[in-house]
Amino acid sequence: MKLTTKFTLWYFGIMLFVLLIGGYIVYYEIQNKLSRVEVVRHQRLNDLIAEQVRTGGDYSNHPTRKRATVTPIAADSVPKGISTYYTRGIGWNPEFQENEYRLLVTSFYNIKGQWYRITTYSFIPSFYQLLPGVVDSFKWIFLLLLVLVIISAGLISKYILAPFKRTLRVIQSFDLKQKTVIRLPDTQTSEFRELNVFLQKMTEKAREDYRTLKEFTENTSHELQTPTAIIRGKLDLLMESDIRDEQAILIAETQNALERLSRIHSSLTLLTKLENHEYEANTTVCISQLTRETLNSFVELIQLKSLTLLTTIAEKIYVPLHPSLADLLLTNLIGNAIRHNVPPATFAEDESEMEAEEGFGGQGGGLIQVNLTREGLIVVNTGRQPQVPTAELFERFKKGNSGSDSIGIGLAIVRQICDLSHFTIDYQYRDGFHCLAVGFSPRVAASKLLQNLSLPLHSRA
Amino acid sequence: MKVLIIEDNQELARNIRDFLAREGYICESCDTLEAAREKLELFQYDCILLDIGLPDGNGISLLNLIRAEYKDSNVLIISAKNALDDKIIGLEKGADDYITKPFHLAELHARIRAVYRRKNLGGTSIVAFNEISLNTDTFEVRVLDHLLDTTPKEFDLLLYFIVNKNRVLSRQAIAAHLWGDYTDNLANFDFVYQHVKNLRRKISGAGGVDYISTVYGLGYRFNSHKAE
Repeated sequence: MKLTTKFTLWYFGIMLFVLLIGGYIVYYEIQNKLSRVEVVRHQRLNDLIAEQVRTGGDYSNHPTRKRATVTPIAADSVPKGISTYYTRGIGWNPEFQENEYRLLVTSFYNIKGQWYRITTYSFIPSFYQLLPGVVDSFKWIFLLLLVLVIISAGLISKYILAPFKRTLRVIQSFDLKQKTVIRLPDTQTSEFRELNVFLQKMTEKAREDYRTLKEFTENTSHELQTPTAIIRGKLDLLMESDIRDEQAILIAETQNALERLSRIHSSLTLLTKLENHEYEANTTVCISQLTRETLNSFVELIQLKSLTLLTTIAEKIYVPLHPSLADLLLTNLIGNAIRHNVPPATFAEDESEMEAEEGFGGQGGGLIQVNLTREGLIVVNTGRQPQVPTAELFERFKKGNSGSDSIGIGLAIVRQICDLSHFTIDYQYRDGFHCLAVGFSPRVAASKLLQNLSLPLHSRA
Repeated sequence: MKVLIIEDNQELARNIRDFLAREGYICESCDTLEAAREKLELFQYDCILLDIGLPDGNGISLLNLIRAEYKDSNVLIISAKNALDDKIIGLEKGADDYITKPFHLAELHARIRAVYRRKNLGGTSIVAFNEISLNTDTFEVRVLDHLLDTTPKEFDLLLYFIVNKNRVLSRQAIAAHLWGDYTDNLANFDFVYQHVKNLRRKISGAGGVDYISTVYGLGYRFNSHKAE
């Protein structure tokens, strides 16, 4: 809900409350004033009647006696301290032959030693007669206020919130990597000024932290790579010296560990760089072309493993992606599909003694399928059933097969690239096929792509 | 070949020096930009190995000077920062190649030779060893003048072996050379084995000497003395 709408609604609530109380007060005041005026008039009338009684004579048909009763009373029944009081209530109106709201004013007079009670009355508007008038007038007041509030809220908020909206716009376009400090508009509103000061400080801090982190990453990279390079060089030199077999094994094992170290390190550095958004996509790349090139660079590995490659690559598909990232994405996906490719025959044998060879003509029987469409890229390969849920394989250092030599960071990189580029990604295992889909548009879920996927004809059955 | 190593890390510089000295290269090293400038003024080098991060400045700044004054030298950038910017700027400013730490010394040597070949041999792009000759333009291998049917990777591999002949090449170094940085090399050893096996079979098949031998536990070696 917009701030203005919220304010307006609250304002309406308060208005309604105030108007209800106001209505009651107005009603009460009017009733009171009316009674007061009537009471004064009746007092004068009572005085007049008392005067008439004092002078004597027959006044029974006099207009003053129309709604008056004069009763002589005993002295002891005269209330003490007051000479006049009034009551309100329902009374019979003989003229209309119905009950109406009535005001009775009773006064006591001592005339020539005799006490008289003189009561006169008149009919006044009752609560129910006054109420519609009060409600009506307040209804109009309320409506008028409503219209004014809505109009003014729109106009005033536009004026008052303008600096806030400008600040929002600046913040939305803020980029950690930008070289300059953000410029926030000046404002007279103290809250906004505080907000701006805070944002200024915060973004400055964020930029500073980002720069430190970036520097740290680069320094670590530098500081670690140099010793690694030295060790590697020493091992290279050591290898060529006169060594015995067992020493050769030691060197080889050291080299393996070193290789791993350096690979993990460079992968982590890469992931950090990705997280820091160091590779922004300023242009689009032709993913069709790149996919073909990547497949070409892997063609020998595919042949060495006797894999069947099926491709459907649509022409001229451009996606917004940094060229290096596109390359990384494809290399990792296709490389994985080759490396973890296990022909179904091999593992079908492990599971049961079924006549596995028959289903897959040719040698190996391993298969890779690469589909590239406008919606996304799908890479399918034959392989063993993963030991962990496929979704977990996107996490760092998670491996489908704990025995394998890979470090298990390729898919983490793939996912990071997809997250950065607002691509969707999904990984499923179906009937001996590992299916990995990347959807190029956030609107197209990668899982949807996999649903529509027709698996290669080679199936395990 | 005369090589100038501009690298602030003494150990690394010594590794490179030791390795290249065995090829009969004359190597000198220095660890600052200032010293490098002095050396460049006094001597002529065929190849300059330039580290980007030096104590007294960025190695890139030296590139301008080298390109302006010493056009004949090849420049190979050595950097620990696998930062893309460095790579692009370095190559734009006229470096001939770029190698990222940690590298295998054999890889560095192969790069130096490749750069040297491109620039200094003026058109002839034949690398020959006894009966084997490789044409780096057409990617053709000839053994005793028979054209060998090799794949691009096998060509690469053979060239790598010949450039680094008589050296033990570890499987890691070969995998890194053939498949680059981002592939998970550890799993590629089978492929290295396959490639080497195929290459040996093809050379022997064409009547060539099987120069390549397995070094127990470590990798492979191209033995030039097998010819005799």
